[in-house]
Amino acid sequence: MTLVLHRIDDRLIHGQVVVGWGQPLDIGFIVLVDDAIAANEWEAELYRMGVPDEMEVFFHDTASALAELDAYRADERAGILLTGEIGTMQQLVDFGGIRTVNLGGIHHKPGRTQRMRYVFLTEPEADALRAMAAGGVVITAQDVPTARAIPLPDVLSGATL
Amino acid sequence: MNLLDVLPVALLGGLLGLDVVSFPQAMLSRPIVAATAAGALLGDPAGGLLIGAVLELIALETLPFGASRYPEWGSAAVVGGGIFVHEAVHPAGAMALAIIGALATAMLSGWSMVKLRELNARWATSRRDALDAGARGTVIGLQLMGMTADLVRGAVLTAVAYALLTPTMHAALEVWGADVRISRAVAVVAAASVALAAVWKIFHAVPGVRWIFGAGFGIGVVIVWTGGFGT
Amino acid sequence: MTAPPTLPLRTRAAIFLRMLAIQGSWNYETLLGNGIGFAIEPALRLLPGGPHTPEFKSALARQSRYFNAHPYLAGIAVGALARAELDHEPPELIERFRTALPGPLGSVGDRLVWAGWLPFCSLVALVTFGFGVGPLGVVATFLLMYNAGHFALRIWGLETGWKHGLRVAPALAHPLLRRGPQEIGRAAAFMAGIALPLAFSRIIGPGRFVLGGVLVAVLVSTVLVIRLGGRMEGWRLALLGLIAFALISVAS
Repeated sequence: MTLVLHRIDDRLIHGQVVVGWGQPLDIGFIVLVDDAIAANEWEAELYRMGVPDEMEVFFHDTASALAELDAYRADERAGILLTGEIGTMQQLVDFGGIRTVNLGGIHHKPGRTQRMRYVFLTEPEADALRAMAAGGVVITAQDVPTARAIPLPDVLSGATL
Repeated sequence: MNLLDVLPVALLGGLLGLDVVSFPQAMLSRPIVAATAAGALLGDPAGGLLIGAVLELIALETLPFGASRYPEWGSAAVVGGGIFVHEAVHPAGAMALAIIGALATAMLSGWSMVKLRELNARWATSRRDALDAGARGTVIGLQLMGMTADLVRGAVLTAVAYALLTPTMHAALEVWGADVRISRAVAVVAAASVALAAVWKIFHAVPGVRWIFGAGFGIGVVIVWTGGFGT
Repeated sequence: MTAPPTLPLRTRAAIFLRMLAIQGSWNYETLLGNGIGFAIEPALRLLPGGPHTPEFKSALARQSRYFNAHPYLAGIAVGALARAELDHEPPELIERFRTALPGPLGSVGDRLVWAGWLPFCSLVALVTFGFGVGPLGVVATFLLMYNAGHFALRIWGLETGWKHGLRVAPALAHPLLRRGPQEIGRAAAFMAGIALPLAFSRIIGPGRFVLGGVLVAVLVSTVLVIRLGGRMEGWRLALLGLIAFALISVAS
């Protein structure tokens, strides 16, 4: 197996990820890429508590994630690559080998406008997603596997609102 | 059917719809409780329990993760229980049609929950300045407004669904052709296959779970086959 | 670690009651945020000077922003954040903690409750139904059993959060939270095995032939539901199947 899901979700590890996707995809490990969390032991410990014993979680800053990405792709288990920021995922996409990106939850912050019920974006964030899509990456929004995958153009246009 | 027939059922649907997310999430809204309560309200708790058990099998699939969209069972099971026991002798087709009614209501009710959440967001956004200023009354007010709206949502939905589905079901039953046991069997197969798939989906990663399920299934089949219970 | 200050019983009771309504204004912008502010407000009134001070207002504003958690485990957050505010922890540290806590509280709660305790209690209720127990017995069994766990978890969460404050992370390593989902999963699978044939039997009525046919049909259609599960939820498939059956029955 390999990394079967590349997800942007500002809640990072939570029920939709661990149970919603984790169970049907038989996920064995999660690679969480976030510079702040990788540098902060108690935060990493907190996120580790959200993952069941049978699932491993690895914390990386962006630079070390790029260095380890191929090793994770070679892992015999199925894994999820998880970032909380669009910019982080864009750097991983630029490294190569990522063909699909899942928008799982990008929530309200000052400056962001609502695009669908669980996706709020600033204009630079929308541009970053457009750039990834222009590079051939298929981007869809889908919170849980049983929900309909919404293509990026429909997300950006707010078609589902 | 008049307003006085619908009102108590609507109130029950509102209260149990409120339980799904807003208050107090004590699972009074589970179909096995909600449909039984509707049956009891209309004078047939056993009938309510029967349809509640079938709907509970289907509801096993629903994992109500906070932000995801899912069927709202509280109001829907009240409607399902209500329309099922409305047909006093539970004729052929009553169970299948009550399940259809409950599932259609659950789908509509799930959609209405999404709309309520959007309304809550609009209310919060329009009070952003007060929230940022730490206004106690605004925080408490938003909470009370959200819960009141949820109660009204569930009650209105239950009233409309119950009032529309009861005569529709009655009319369909008058021309229903399939045998009573076959009709029930089809309803049970539909519900049980969702339940079994849900059990597999939720628990298949637990080590040894297939054997544990198999052992339980064997015991269950032996109990039924020897005629001990449930018949 | 120093012993936590005592939270007056009245305040504790008010927080607990409000926690039952913590999702009352759930929305896609702040999710549970306003509910956290609503639940924590009685504790913030204990800040020096009471509810009319700038400290109270800035703390309430901070606590009412975006937050997410499983509703039953949100008590951990409410307890820990109340303690942090009353201990006058730096706002930046509280913000950081509020950012890190939602994911784990959601993940642990979803596995333990939504994908564990709830289906287990539901299956126990179906077993009691299958054994021929009456409406009151089935409903009481389910509600008493489920809510014993539900309320215990909420009370434990609030106490634990208050006791540990911002250092609550190790409490999430409690064996019940770590191993509970798996153990409950095993028990639920066993209950599911017993519940299904018993429940079928009571719903359909006596008759081995019909029951045997139903069991075979259930196994076959379950495979179909699982295979189509990635594209459509089971309840939608059931709805479509039953509508088709109803149309045939009405037309025949």
